[in-house]
Amino acid sequence: MVNPMLGQVLFIAIAVVLAILLATRAELTRVRGGKILAFITLFVLPVVAVGLGYSEHMERATSTQFCLSCHVMHDFGQSLYVDDPSYIPARHFQNNLVPRDHACYTCHTDYTMFGTVHAKFRGLRHIYVQYFGKVPEPANIKLYTAFNNRECLHCHAGMRVYQEEPKHSKTPDMMARINSNQLSCMSAHCHDTVHDVATLKDVNFWKGGQ
Amino acid sequence: MPNTLSAPFIERRLRWAGLLIAIGLVVQLTTFIWIHPLSFIAFAMIACPLIAAGILLFLYSLVTHQPS
Repeated sequence: MVNPMLGQVLFIAIAVVLAILLATRAELTRVRGGKILAFITLFVLPVVAVGLGYSEHMERATSTQFCLSCHVMHDFGQSLYVDDPSYIPARHFQNNLVPRDHACYTCHTDYTMFGTVHAKFRGLRHIYVQYFGKVPEPANIKLYTAFNNRECLHCHAGMRVYQEEPKHSKTPDMMARINSNQLSCMSAHCHDTVHDVATLKDVNFWKGGQ
Repeated sequence: MPNTLSAPFIERRLRWAGLLIAIGLVVQLTTFIWIHPLSFIAFAMIACPLIAAGILLFLYSLVTHQPS
């Protein structure tokens, strides 16, 4: 089976060769065949190449490796290996409840470039701060807005263990409030242990899955 | 028979268009080496504008070309 990335690289390499050919031998376009070649090389191939590149970069941006590539995110990556199931991200990561190679994006689907225009500008600001600003301590990094239950309900909505869990129905309207994001899944005494990177120095880590 | 007066002008623009697109595509290829936010930024802010400029120059050369 052909590696899609290899196919894409080959496609772009061919486009580069043809573009260089036209850049050095523009007189080829004096004949009909050359005009067609120019249209394909200077319009069709670049448009397709940019489309493929955009798709590839967006796919990469959903990868755990991408999110953890900035040093400040290291502790958040470490928190996925905490040997304590009360840490919600660790529990999901270690039990393959989220795909490990796309762990961050699975629960943060509206972050930076995948969110609103405002979120996209925040993403650019993160890069600026990473290289030119004062990078905050990991423990001081918070979400801009409260975590939306929608991220949990992508998977948990309709699950029997979620629907029939007595703690989710302590009051008659509790389930409705959770489903409408009026009551956070991460409320105190619910699933309130998330990344908690400030506590990492005191915890044990799972050695598997590395 | 090509138009010998305007042909060099359009060919010069086509050369520039080819060069811009080639450079843009090479930059795009290099951004595939790393999985990092800076790679995406390089793709979006260097490769894409270069390629777009090449395409626009090509289209501009077509619409301003005066065949005899």
